[in-house]
Amino acid sequence: MTNYVLLNNVDHKDLKIINTRSAEYGDNVMFAMTFPFEFRNIQSCYPIFFQKNADTGQLYPVALFGFQEKENLFLNDDGWDASYVPLMIQRNPFLIGFQEVKGEQGAANKQRVVSLDMDSPRVNESEGESVFLEHGGRSEYLEKTSDILEAIDNGYNNNKDFVNTLLEYELIESFTMEVTLNDGTKNQLLGFYTINEETLQNLDGEALGKLNSNGCLQPLFMIIASHSRIKTLIEKKNRQAL
Amino acid sequence: MVNAVKQIVIVGGGTAGWLTAGVIAAEHCQQPESTIKVTLIESPDINPIGVGEGTWPSMRSTLQKIGISETDFFRECEASFKQGSCFSGWVNGAKDDRYYHPFTPPHGFEDTNLAAYWQAAREQISFAAAVCPQTELCNRGLAPKNISTPEYAFNVNYGYHLDAGKFALYLRKHCVEKLGVLHLLDTVVAVNSSDSGDIKSVSVSTGFDVAGDLFIDCSGFAALLIGQHFGVEFCSKKEFLFNDTALAVQVPYQNESDAIASHTLSSAQKAGWIWDIGLPTRRGVGYVYSSTHSSDEGAEVELRQYLSETSLGVDSDSISLRKLKINPGHRQKLWHKNCVAVGMAAGFLEPLEASALALVEQSAKMISEQLPANREVMDVVSKRFNEKFLYHWQRIIDFLKLHYVLTQRQDTAYWRDNGQSASIPDSLQELLSLWRYQVPWHLDAPLIDELFPAASFQYILYGMGFETQNHPERSTSATKSMRNANSLFQENAQRTLNLLGSLPTNRELINKIKQYGFQKI
Repeated sequence: MTNYVLLNNVDHKDLKIINTRSAEYGDNVMFAMTFPFEFRNIQSCYPIFFQKNADTGQLYPVALFGFQEKENLFLNDDGWDASYVPLMIQRNPFLIGFQEVKGEQGAANKQRVVSLDMDSPRVNESEGESVFLEHGGRSEYLEKTSDILEAIDNGYNNNKDFVNTLLEYELIESFTMEVTLNDGTKNQLLGFYTINEETLQNLDGEALGKLNSNGCLQPLFMIIASHSRIKTLIEKKNRQAL
Repeated sequence: MVNAVKQIVIVGGGTAGWLTAGVIAAEHCQQPESTIKVTLIESPDINPIGVGEGTWPSMRSTLQKIGISETDFFRECEASFKQGSCFSGWVNGAKDDRYYHPFTPPHGFEDTNLAAYWQAAREQISFAAAVCPQTELCNRGLAPKNISTPEYAFNVNYGYHLDAGKFALYLRKHCVEKLGVLHLLDTVVAVNSSDSGDIKSVSVSTGFDVAGDLFIDCSGFAALLIGQHFGVEFCSKKEFLFNDTALAVQVPYQNESDAIASHTLSSAQKAGWIWDIGLPTRRGVGYVYSSTHSSDEGAEVELRQYLSETSLGVDSDSISLRKLKINPGHRQKLWHKNCVAVGMAAGFLEPLEASALALVEQSAKMISEQLPANREVMDVVSKRFNEKFLYHWQRIIDFLKLHYVLTQRQDTAYWRDNGQSASIPDSLQELLSLWRYQVPWHLDAPLIDELFPAASFQYILYGMGFETQNHPERSTSATKSMRNANSLFQENAQRTLNLLGSLPTNRELINKIKQYGFQKI
């Protein structure tokens, strides 16, 4: 379970965060949300697909780490074995939230606030990175995390625009991937969505121009390039089966 | 081409008119090479009846074909999900007397007839619950899908409840703005014939004539073209279906968050039955009854009684009633010369099983798919159209009457008279005697596009407690399928449990559609 509270330098002055990557700390996830601005880094390590938010039905891009629930093929005894760890993983156990603040004329404004999950096993007072400096100032680690949270917050809106544009051009389709391992066992990947490459190839110049000016064209091809990483996942899975 | 059909003129702008316009225009008017024009003349003086608030699952594919987004449809038309009908008090009038006719056919219906195997277990579980998850879903007011299910797709089959007035307006907007239907807000004052007896044009009140090659009469009970102009005979069916009057009301919810029923509730009364349809912001309720068996005052007392029992916290006594007259029956021909009638102009029986809009959709579909290229072949198409739809009308009469004839109720003359054999069509009597010994199955339905498949007959028969003395153990194929049947029953039970755990309520999902919308994929 999660227990999010607003971060402050009084209650949390001695707080430390363990940044080790392992199943013990909840890194055994099959996928994580990703954002167009980090696609370049993501595609060098992970395949990118789309998922639907079960609560809203809205599509969002994800980086895939495994073929079944709780499987993260990038985790090993030494941590997370990849050159780039997605922002949605790096931000743990912090979350960006909003608080209504009364402005000068009494108008309610929404302000970004940082919260953290007090139930996360990463949160403690003895081990890991300090959140605040000795006299209550923000640590370099917290500054970095705040930047990540801000990027994620912008990323949510980027994702909405990106997905809506792709849907408008009917560029997203549902798909089922069947992966056969060396030992003959089969894994089926259900409930994910991908780029309809045939539709993409048949787009005319005007459509491509629009996608480009919207900033959607490059991430689109990043996604397609990322699919060569499926092979990486299969290799990892095969090695694990040995 | 000689006498090519190019101008299609629809007279009447209710749901029937706009649905027909939409289906035809979406198919025939969207290409640069298209030569067909659809014009719809709608009288500003006539209000649509606007109580047709239930649809079949076929409406999903109709809307999709017309190019309507399901999200917009929900947002604009006060729509909610309908998974079937629940009949309360039809068997014996006891407190627990209710059964379902769900939209999903029995599990494995393609090749296994579970009704045959259910007979042995009939005391333990209702037929509908044994073969379909929707009974349980409806009992809990659950939706037939999730917000992540794509638009028009489903976890279990569904149609809609909707606000008929808003639906007609929404269809009009879509037809005019997206499909290029020409809309004339004017009243038809004269029908002008050509030498051959065809309709050449109709004159409108602003003083000009609208010429056409094919005229579609969607003018409702007035039946301006098929009835008033051509005088095609009207065949009353009141000898079989007694209901000829309806009192309709709109009932607000007490709270914004009140549950929205996932089915049409049909409650049997002394001289007819009450429909109860849940929309997001109100219920639509009405008593349809036989004026031979009840006075209007008596019916109003019964309806108000029902409202006070079912609308806690709502001042139901102050709700005003609207009275509608029904003349149950249909035209002896639906397509005459260059004029075809769709909707109430073609006929109407009664609201039971909401067949009216389904017939409109079927009619529009056949007119569109078989649209005669010219006047010469129109008579071939019209002959086939008449054969098919007269058959449909007869089957609907049989199916509706089936709901009444199996009752054990003897408490009023209405129910006793419904059991009189003179009031039962011969075709239905034949089927009933057959079904004493064999369960309804695919071959009972001769047409490929049958309106009511054998599954529907099964749900009503066995919901009403009808007994079929069949012996699957004596037949080679049925014995072989026995094991399969048992696993189908188990699968249905398991699937029901899974769905109960994963589906939101109707209200929750409708709120989410308004907030987020469905995805196309």
